[in-house]
Amino acid sequence: MINSVFSTAESTGDAVAEIKANINDKPMAVVYFVSSNYDQEKVAAEMQKAFPDSQLIGCSTAGEIVSGHMLKKGLVAMSLGEGVIEFADMEVISDLTSANSVNAAFDEFEKKLNQPISHLDFNKYVGLVLIDGMSCSEEYINERIGDLTDVLFIGGSAGDDLKFEKTWVHANGKAYNGAAVVALFKTVNGFDILKTESFDTSEKNLIPTKVDEATRTVHEFNGKSAIDAYAEAIGKDKEKAADFFMHNPVGLLVGEEPYVRSPQQVQGDSMVFYCAVKEGMELNVLESRDIVEDTKSDLNKKLQEVGQPKGIINFHCILRTLELEQKDQTEAYAALFNDIPTIGFSTYGETYIGHINQTSTMLLLK
Amino acid sequence: MSGQIKKMIDSILQQRSKGSALIKSTTEAKIVMKGVNPSKYDINSPDDPDVIAKLKNIAQEFGVTV
Repeated sequence: MINSVFSTAESTGDAVAEIKANINDKPMAVVYFVSSNYDQEKVAAEMQKAFPDSQLIGCSTAGEIVSGHMLKKGLVAMSLGEGVIEFADMEVISDLTSANSVNAAFDEFEKKLNQPISHLDFNKYVGLVLIDGMSCSEEYINERIGDLTDVLFIGGSAGDDLKFEKTWVHANGKAYNGAAVVALFKTVNGFDILKTESFDTSEKNLIPTKVDEATRTVHEFNGKSAIDAYAEAIGKDKEKAADFFMHNPVGLLVGEEPYVRSPQQVQGDSMVFYCAVKEGMELNVLESRDIVEDTKSDLNKKLQEVGQPKGIINFHCILRTLELEQKDQTEAYAALFNDIPTIGFSTYGETYIGHINQTSTMLLLK
Repeated sequence: MSGQIKKMIDSILQQRSKGSALIKSTTEAKIVMKGVNPSKYDINSPDDPDVIAKLKNIAQEFGVTV
């Protein structure tokens, strides 16, 4: 059974009480996303107190999503119980610079499952990963997870309501900075994943020829200053190029599918991205389409393919939320999930195989 | 010399996917994210030592041998 519930009560105690009141059973796991305006340590502790028999995972946000609503300053939660999952475990990756820390979390999974992580049935098992959104560690952590297992892990980078100061991840009663939390679920009826982005590819490619991966900075594309080459590619003046970052990000193409890398800001003649790019990695210049129409179409296609899921967890890029807000489309986007128990949040980046931007990356639980 | 890169990519994909088309496709995406695009190489591609070094490293990270 799945319930998706929310509260916008101002006090942490009232918000958690409202969540608890609307989840009547004793779920095996509770996934929750919470505005950074709440006291994070208190939320984590009170959620654990409210659901003492459940595995809990959550994080701070830049806006929350629940069936039919896009919220600000709220708490959304989903309970996962019988008929949906038959195993749940949460682990903390406390050092985001250490492969050993990732290995230790997965060693714990193995101990609890009593089998190697590499032997798990990837059709039944699925993972969630929530990472400190200010850590710039997402690429490293996602790569290490992807090296260790073929089980798909999806998720997002925690937000802080666009303050860009401090983000939090939560697991089993505690809130952490500079950390990631990972959940592993064994599903009863399987799952599906929908990664949707609203862009057309183009004939124009940019190849980073001088980069600083650690700071996600591209100094040169195609042997020219990054901003000059980008402005030329989108056909705009260099001075105005930053105005088109949201409309024209770049994408790493895997087949025909873009894995979006969004420019964040211009520094001198260099460009800083929300996601690392590597030297020599061919990037396609993308052109945005309508988010609501595209998401509706991709979601309907997926539902026709796999049937109605019991619930959706939606990791939705903050840049998409900002675009929806600009176009007054937040209600139309939220309405796409009216009929399916859904929670999600506006992220500082999504996880699907690697760290990506400007997507809605969704876990569909059957 | 040519073709070494394609052979290495195929070997990594085969070892890691163990016959699963889904794992093959996600492994291809992982390799792209690590900086080598498998679709850019065929049996005629020259044996670029930088790409070969990257693939050796990727194989090690995946726990397979090439």
